[in-house]
Formats: sequence, C-alpha cells, structure tokens
Amino acid sequence: MKTYSSLLPSELIKTRAFIYKNWTMAKRNVFTLFEILFWPVVGFFSVGLLTEFAGMQPQMKAFVLVGVVSMGTIQVCQLDVAYVLLYDVWSKAVKHGFIAPVGIRHLLLGSLVVGMARGGAVFFILMGASYAFFNFDFRVPGIGPLALFLFGLFLCAASVGVLVCILVLIFGNRADVAAWSLVSLMLLVCGIYYPISILPEWVVPIAAAIPLTYYLEYFRQFYGFTPIFSNPLAKGYILVLAYLLGEIFLMKVALRRAKKTGLLLKLSE
Amino acid sequence: MHLNFAVEVKGLRKTFVSGWFRKRRVEALKGVDLAVPAGAFWGVLGPNGAGKTTFLSILSNLLTPEEGQVRILGRDVQTYSMELRRRINLSSGHANFLWSLTVRENLEYYAMLYGLSKTDRQKKLEELFHLFDLSPFARVRFEELSTGTKQKLSLAKALLNEPELLLLDEPTVGLDPDVARRIRELIQTLHREKGTTILMTTHNMKEAETLCQEVAFIKNGMIKAHGRPQDLKRELRLGDTILVTFRGNLPASSLESQEGIYGYQCSDSSCRILVDDHRERLPQILDLLTGAKVTIHDLRIQESDLEDVFIAFAQ
Repeated sequence: MKTYSSLLPSELIKTRAFIYKNWTMAKRNVFTLFEILFWPVVGFFSVGLLTEFAGMQPQMKAFVLVGVVSMGTIQVCQLDVAYVLLYDVWSKAVKHGFIAPVGIRHLLLGSLVVGMARGGAVFFILMGASYAFFNFDFRVPGIGPLALFLFGLFLCAASVGVLVCILVLIFGNRADVAAWSLVSLMLLVCGIYYPISILPEWVVPIAAAIPLTYYLEYFRQFYGFTPIFSNPLAKGYILVLAYLLGEIFLMKVALRRAKKTGLLLKLSE
Repeated sequence: MHLNFAVEVKGLRKTFVSGWFRKRRVEALKGVDLAVPAGAFWGVLGPNGAGKTTFLSILSNLLTPEEGQVRILGRDVQTYSMELRRRINLSSGHANFLWSLTVRENLEYYAMLYGLSKTDRQKKLEELFHLFDLSPFARVRFEELSTGTKQKLSLAKALLNEPELLLLDEPTVGLDPDVARRIRELIQTLHREKGTTILMTTHNMKEAETLCQEVAFIKNGMIKAHGRPQDLKRELRLGDTILVTFRGNLPASSLESQEGIYGYQCSDSSCRILVDDHRERLPQILDLLTGAKVTIHDLRIQESDLEDVFIAFAQ
C-alpha cells in the first residue's frame, strides 16, 4: 500500500513536469521577453508619464502606479497558467497530457510556479522603475504586506488562467483569445486607474466580486487611501481561494464534458 | 468478466453530438463487444469512419461512452482512471508533440508526467534512444523532424511507463515502406520480449496479418467478426485458389468428392480450384491428377489474404 511519503516524490516530479514544460517553452519563445519586458514596461511608462503630465499629487500617483504594476504582474502570471493548456492546444498534443496519470493540481501548481517567477520578475522590474523614474516606493508598507499583496496578485492571476483553461475545454481553441482579454475586463471594474466609488452603482457589486479589487484596496491603504471594504486582505484571500476551489471543480467538469463531446480529441487533430 | 483479459468491452455505444442549437448526431459505436486476452497482439481493422479510433480513444479514457462496460486490465476504465493511466499508453499515427521542444525535452517532459525520477528518466531515455535510433535527433525540435522520426518519438513516448497494455492507432500510417518495416519490427520485438498486450488499428492488411494473432473487423460502429486471419478466411470461404494447366482427360466430377474444396471451374486443359487451405489440399489434388494420368504443364497457387477478408467485410 502506498503511503503519503512514498507518493510525495512522484507528486513533486509530476508538478515539476509542468514547470519544465512552461519554462522550456518560454525560453524558446522570443515573444516571452516581450511579455515580460516590452508590454508591461511600455504600459507602465505610458501611465507613469501621464501622471507627470497631469501633475498628479504623490498620493494620486501612488494610486495609479500600484494599479498599473499590479495589472502588468497579473497579466504575465495568468498567461503562464493559461499556457499550460494552450501550448498543448497549439501543438495539437492535448491528448498525450491527459493520458498520463496527472491531475489538475499538478498542472495548476507547476504552471503557477513559472507564472510567479515571470510575474515576480515583472513586478520587481516595475517596482524598481517606479522608484527610479517616478519617485514612488513600493516598500513603504513593509516586506510582510508587500509579500501578502504580491502573493494575492499571483492567486488572482491563477484564477484567471484556470478560467481560460476551462473556456478552452468548453469552446475549443477559439477560446484562447480569453487569455489576453479577460484581464482587460478586470481593468475596467477593479479600480486599477480610478477608485471603484466612481463606478455606476450597478457595477460596484461586480467589482466587489473580483478579488483584485480587495488587494488593491489593501495595498493602497498604506498610502493614505481609506478602503471602502472592511478587512480587504482577508476578503481578497477568501474570495480568491473560493474561486480557485470552484474553478478546479469546474475544470474537472469541463474535462469530463470534453471527453464526452470528443473535444479533447479534436484539440489533438 | 475474466481477469485474464487485458481488454473487456460489452455493449459499448458512443454517439457524437455536435452543434449548440441544431444538434447533429453521429453514432460512432453501436454496441461493441470484445475481449482481448492478456499478452495478446490483436488488430482492429475497418474502413475509414468505422469507429476504430473512437474505440481506442475510449479504451485510453480520452472519450467517455454513453453506454457499455469497459474494463482494462480487470478494472473499470472510469472508476480506476488514474491507476490505469499509469499502466497503459497510446501511440498514434500522425502524432503531435510540443513543437518547440526537442526530442529529448519532449521525452523528458512526458517521463516526468509518469512520475519517473531523474535516475529512472535518464536510464529510460537512453534505452529508448537506443531502441528507436533517436540519438542523432535528441537535440532536434519536434517541428523539424521527419514523419518517420516523429512516429518513432510517438512510440518511444508510449513506452516510457512500460505499459501493460499498449494501444497503437495506425502506427505506420504515412511512413516510407522501409521505415514502416522497421517500426513493425520494433513493435513485434516489444511484444515478444516484454509480453505487452497490444491492440492496434491499421489500414494495412499485410501489417495486420504479419503482426496480429487475431483481428477484429469493425464497420459502422459494430464488430462484424473477429478471430485468427486463417479462421476468418475459412469462415468467409475465401480460401486459396489452385490453378492447374494440364494435358489429358480429367473428369471434373472427381473433384466434387474431395474434402476441403469450395468450388472449381474446369475447361479442357485447365482447372481453377478453390480450396480451404492449399497446404492441406495440394497433395490430394496432385494425387488426383496423377491418378487420372494427366500431364501437368503449370501449377500456380493464389493465397487469399486479409485484404480479401477486409474487402468481403467492408462490402
């Protein structure tokens, strides 16, 4: 009979498989560099320079820069989680992965590790740039809150990435566009560039349903902004963990459906 | 159901439904029954669209059937999915793998998916590189490989976990004859040396006849017949044809009383005789001709093969 200790190495190897795949594919692809450096940096400087042009007060500048850096980090990290399935879809090799004895947990954890590495790189590059070019210091809240905030962003990214995977398993490879568009929808309602208090009343519940809203509220409070919601960090974590659990269940359902409809085979043809 | 069967399928049905609003239904399998003994090498033959790939995909748990019981290695394929995925593997013709990864990287990745430790992976990869002559391509990306090498990679991937049941979906399709022959030899060696149960779909009748101990014919989603190729020929009364040209007088009626003769057509100087098995019937026909004191000018044998069986079933 297998014990947990005898299963652990195998679990770790299977998780490492997805780290290996995403990392090696990322190394091969020159556009990966664009994803990490070009788009987030271009976006960051565009908005940063706009804050200068608009003559914003340091507090307002902090508000906007926290938003834009968070967005860049989530965008890159969620791509890696989505890529774990999309690389197979684009290579038409989906079935080989699902024949192997791996679970969604391996796939999610492995890809999230690479996502955290790449998203973390984006975060620290932009954090340095904020300090160097716009005199804004991300370290003001301290290492603990910064780490909690950053880890929350990674979990938000994971939930977006898994949602992309679910959509691909339901609608096929046409759904890969979600990998780039879902985050942009969040941009509208989560208070990236503006507080959610200025949103129409009916949009606020939508914003309140997205964990990123709470993480931004939590981090901005260290820069003098009063949060609209109480205990934003706890709410953010509870919400994102609930979403991830729900999504893992939904992904299993989507996978079962793909096996029933034959989509899993079609994605390999 | 019996434990000594590697594959046991009863009443298997699969219908594909497409379209979100206007549903289109295609019945791919309409009640398939099949039992493949452990350690056997069986073939599944049938025309295009007969349901061969659907059948193999259900066995490998890539497709879920509507109805029917599927047991692999004595276990229900749905309930014991994770355990079975460790114990079986699949290799398909026209296989695709991660395009940007090299042969070694692809194998390394799939070996990790099967939980092989670093030491085991290295050992297994070296063994497979040697077996399939893949060493020169170790650092070549999948997208740059020839069709034959891609197929070798597909087979190598399928052996990473030393499967007890190996499913091969048209493993030599689209390959040059020499590469196909090499692949066939490798598959044969694998079955002989490791005792792996192999279930293979193919369009190549010669291939099935050479490799498979038994074959099952699938058409319109149903198994029409299964058995040893020679038994199927006998069942269909396809037999072998003996063509004999002679000088003399052969009373054709004397052939009627002979055992194992399905039919004959004779003229003044030749006879075309359809027999169940030429190896068994040729001596008695020669005795008959010698007894009738005819001089044999020419004697030819035309063996029916699995292709004739295939055509007979496909029609």
